[in-house]
Amino acid sequence: MAKLIFVFLTLIPILCNSFTPEKTSDRRILVLLDDFAVKSSHSLFFKSLQSRGFDLDFKLADDPKIALQRYGQYLYDALVLFSPTIERFGGSIDAAAILDFVDSGHDLIVAADNNASDLIREIATECGVDFDEDTSAVVVDHSGYAVSATEGDHTLIASDDFIKSDVILGSKKIEAPVLFQGIGHSLNPSNSLVLKVLSASPTAFSANPKSKLTSPPSLLGSSISLVSVIQARNNARILISGSLSVFSNRFFNSGVQKAGSPTKHDKSGNEQFFTELSKWVLHERGHLKAVNVQHHKVGETNEPSIYRINDDLEYSVEIYEWSGKSWEPYVADDVQVQFYMMSPYVLKTLSNDKKGRFFTSFKVPDVYGVFQFKVEYDRLGYTSLSLSKQIPVRPFRHNEYERFIPAAYPYYGAAFSMMAGFFVFSAVHLYNK
Amino acid sequence: MATTAVGAAFLLLLLLPFSISIPQPISDSHRSAASNLFNQISPSLEDAYEALRVFEILAIEKKPLDTADTCKKVLENLGSSSPLKDVFYALKVNGILKCNIDGTIFKDIASRLKATLHDASTLLDIYYSVGSLVLIKDQASDVDVLLTDANGIFHSIKALSQSDGRWRYSSDNPESSTYASGLALEGLSGVISLASSEIDQSKVSIVKNGIVKLFDSIEKYDDGAFYFDEKFVRGSEPQGSLSTTSSVVRGVNAFAAVTSGKINLPGDTILGLAKFFLSIGIPGDAKDFFNQVESLSFLDSNRISIPLILSLPETVYSLTKKGQFKVKVSTVFGSAAPPLTVKLVRAFSTGAKDSAIIDSKELQYNQESGFHFLDSFPKNVDVGTYVFVLEIVLHDSESENVYATGGQIHVPIYVIGVIKVGNAEIAVLDSDLGNVETHNTLDLSGNDIVSLSANHLQKLRLSFQLETPNGRVFKPHQAFLKLHHETKIEHIFLVGNTGKKFEIIFDFLGLVEKLFYLSGKYDIELTVGDAVMVSCTTYYFKVTCSSLILLYRNLNKNILFQENSFSRLLGHVELDLPEAPEKAARPPLPPVDPYSRYGPNAEINHIFRAPEKRPPQKLSLVFLGLILLPFIGFLVGLLRLGVNLKNFPGSTVPATFATLFHLGLAAVLLLYVLFWLKLDLFTTLKTLGLLGVFTMFFGHRILSYLALTSTKLKSA
Repeated sequence: MAKLIFVFLTLIPILCNSFTPEKTSDRRILVLLDDFAVKSSHSLFFKSLQSRGFDLDFKLADDPKIALQRYGQYLYDALVLFSPTIERFGGSIDAAAILDFVDSGHDLIVAADNNASDLIREIATECGVDFDEDTSAVVVDHSGYAVSATEGDHTLIASDDFIKSDVILGSKKIEAPVLFQGIGHSLNPSNSLVLKVLSASPTAFSANPKSKLTSPPSLLGSSISLVSVIQARNNARILISGSLSVFSNRFFNSGVQKAGSPTKHDKSGNEQFFTELSKWVLHERGHLKAVNVQHHKVGETNEPSIYRINDDLEYSVEIYEWSGKSWEPYVADDVQVQFYMMSPYVLKTLSNDKKGRFFTSFKVPDVYGVFQFKVEYDRLGYTSLSLSKQIPVRPFRHNEYERFIPAAYPYYGAAFSMMAGFFVFSAVHLYNK
Repeated sequence: MATTAVGAAFLLLLLLPFSISIPQPISDSHRSAASNLFNQISPSLEDAYEALRVFEILAIEKKPLDTADTCKKVLENLGSSSPLKDVFYALKVNGILKCNIDGTIFKDIASRLKATLHDASTLLDIYYSVGSLVLIKDQASDVDVLLTDANGIFHSIKALSQSDGRWRYSSDNPESSTYASGLALEGLSGVISLASSEIDQSKVSIVKNGIVKLFDSIEKYDDGAFYFDEKFVRGSEPQGSLSTTSSVVRGVNAFAAVTSGKINLPGDTILGLAKFFLSIGIPGDAKDFFNQVESLSFLDSNRISIPLILSLPETVYSLTKKGQFKVKVSTVFGSAAPPLTVKLVRAFSTGAKDSAIIDSKELQYNQESGFHFLDSFPKNVDVGTYVFVLEIVLHDSESENVYATGGQIHVPIYVIGVIKVGNAEIAVLDSDLGNVETHNTLDLSGNDIVSLSANHLQKLRLSFQLETPNGRVFKPHQAFLKLHHETKIEHIFLVGNTGKKFEIIFDFLGLVEKLFYLSGKYDIELTVGDAVMVSCTTYYFKVTCSSLILLYRNLNKNILFQENSFSRLLGHVELDLPEAPEKAARPPLPPVDPYSRYGPNAEINHIFRAPEKRPPQKLSLVFLGLILLPFIGFLVGLLRLGVNLKNFPGSTVPATFATLFHLGLAAVLLLYVLFWLKLDLFTTLKTLGLLGVFTMFFGHRILSYLALTSTKLKSA
């Protein structure tokens, strides 16, 4: 019996562990839908998630039994809100619960649409994305629309203004424009966490396509964001799209020709764009970790507890990127270390050995005090690394200064000749007759 | 509930990004999608059946799965212990694949099913048993499957029905379900076909009334699509509206097939259901695909009324291309409709609903292509958005009872054309007099740029004209003028029209506040766009824009043409505005370039304090030599004076004292040398203390001895 209890107790940590990037096999995603038909009409997107090892749990958004957490443990690692019209979630989920979910480091994908509910707008606003307040407005582009024989009002637009970031959109260039039909949003310029991934063209605007404009539209030109991502300070990632249909099979499979462009693509860029973007949002790319921070004097291997001014030291750190399956060495030539006290005294770019180890060496400045080794690595699309390690720096000890200074020899000479003279004089003075 | 309905309504819109309200019949894209969707190995016989059935309905020759393997699986599932559901689907698969199955197996199953049926209480048990028996009846004619107690079973199913036409899953589950209704109807029809004696007709007519009642709960979208929605029922899997609707269609179809007489359902409902299934497009889920295709096949062959679908290959027509307005009428599977005429009842501009541009015109029929077409648009059709009202008129009055056409169909049509842009001019005016200071005529199709300058007392006027091909004034949806300051601050103005002319006047005196008193260069950009302005190089136009413009220019050189919704830089204006007063609003921060926020910082190297300047070593040595000179001089002087040490005590004890005293002194001095060379202060002081005491003691002895001897000498 005691043995059984022991086995159970040892199993508890295994049964209760939550997500770590090391463990992808059971990443669970809750997908909230307005209607189960979305599951089939958007199946390509869901299939691409499932084929990458995610476990999708489809629920109606107003299902009274849905919950994000139980007994203080989150049941899911990510949440997909494909329920633009939902006014109130079922169960214990509300906007605050979703924001708590994100605040605890989980990922979120939100799709709004023409008739997005206040709840969805509120969640987006909390994430730093403001949808057009005019509920009848959609993004219209009379110059950059997708050519279609049956779509005449230019609300189906073909956008190819992507963010220039390989880590967010993958290294393969997206050739075909992305089809978009929905509402636009704007980002607060002072918010540095939110990024425009897909922008509208300069001629686009957000208005009701059926009525005449009476005042200039509030959202206009390339300041309109169609799809945005947010990387919170806790590295939780959020994807917000102004359209749900961009994820649909119909858009994934549809051909696209942008107005004014002679090339007709057989397949729109939607599938590649959203598959790559979802890889980023679900931390399959651009997630860095730094381990094994080391520093020591040149020629030594042990880390000292204090440095003296003008010491030569070596600093190294290992950085790895999560590839979705394993931690791969990160290769970059712009990782920098600072030797910092109130302001950086030394800022050096680290060299790397292509195996994840970044290193450099420098001389401790001739200023003493409490310094920090700081690595503040903040790159577009990557999780930010912020390492700091405190180390005091002392001045020379009294006996560490130079002892034999040639310039002082005349003074020494004077003193010692004086002493010698004294010795001779004392003898002469005492015993001279 | 309301949210689900709204959600579902919205969903339909989002499923139809390309053709709102005009569903297209099933086409080849469905077939290729089916081949892709069902190519995976099906794990269960239910999936296998769905795949086979879809391929059968869509007449795809290729088999979705390996026949021999599946037949093996069918045989396994026809064993005595397999669950009812598996038996049911095994028989269904067998119905299509025609596996070689021994008659005795059928007999065994039939007797087992009959036994189950005898004491079955839940709807699903009855459904699977009856369904299986019906399948056995079709597949093995020699097996006795007729039910002796048909009336009893009929009654036990009927007992589960509710007053609103819906059914329960079992007698102890009080919740009623629309999905279950479909199953129940299918079960009832099975019982009727298996009955050894006639079922009481009154009971059958009660069920028929139940069906009509069930259709009272049907829900409707704005575009005329009908569907059934299912509330969540405890103890069953949640069903979407597609599977619910499809279950009802299957049930009603089966029931209508075995009973005589017509079920009283309006043709519009059937058409609405067909629209619902078609509006889903190509589902990405195998189950949904099966439900859609099977239901449509039932609707296509039902006995109530067969829906006809009117579809348009295009809704955007170009005036310049002289396109033909084309319409196709077909069944849901795209096969030819009976002889009919499509009538264009009315066509009106969305802006003016009352004035029709076309009234009551019959479309011509092209036998070869199967299109009904309007050979050309009438002369009075200008660019704009229109609504065409179409009606299908069947030639044969007989077939009016067979087919559902859905009455008048409203179709939005966009007529696009080349908009002439002319008389564009930009001028700077003096405020008081309205005198034209500088005046520029612009060619909006070219690339020339004007440079203007103005101060806050002046005005800037821009005007241009837009004309449709028929010579009417064209009011575009989008006519923006953008003033773009060097500091990336933008101001947007709508360009309004007065009569024929589009004109915007900037009175800079009134605008200084809005422009944040920012002087300097402003870019002027004009954007004109509309849904019906022709776009070049799209496939409506096989000619390029430049050749088109050339063509028009040759015809009439005075008119400028703008071929597309355009956005172009007109020029720059150098504004000289007054200084901002203190209370004026600050201009907003320009958006930060996201790329500039990232990237490495410049390296910082610490600048070390420079070491103090020292004289060269030789100089120090020279001075050292010089410093030692007085000591040498001192020694030489002593020698010259002829000093001696004759006073050194002669007796042993004082001589020892003297030696030790001088040794002590020498040691102290040596200590100082060592202090310089290597010792630290603490060792030096300690040693000095010892040496000091030692030297002082002997110094005292030798000095007192010397003093004594000298006193003795003096006194002597």
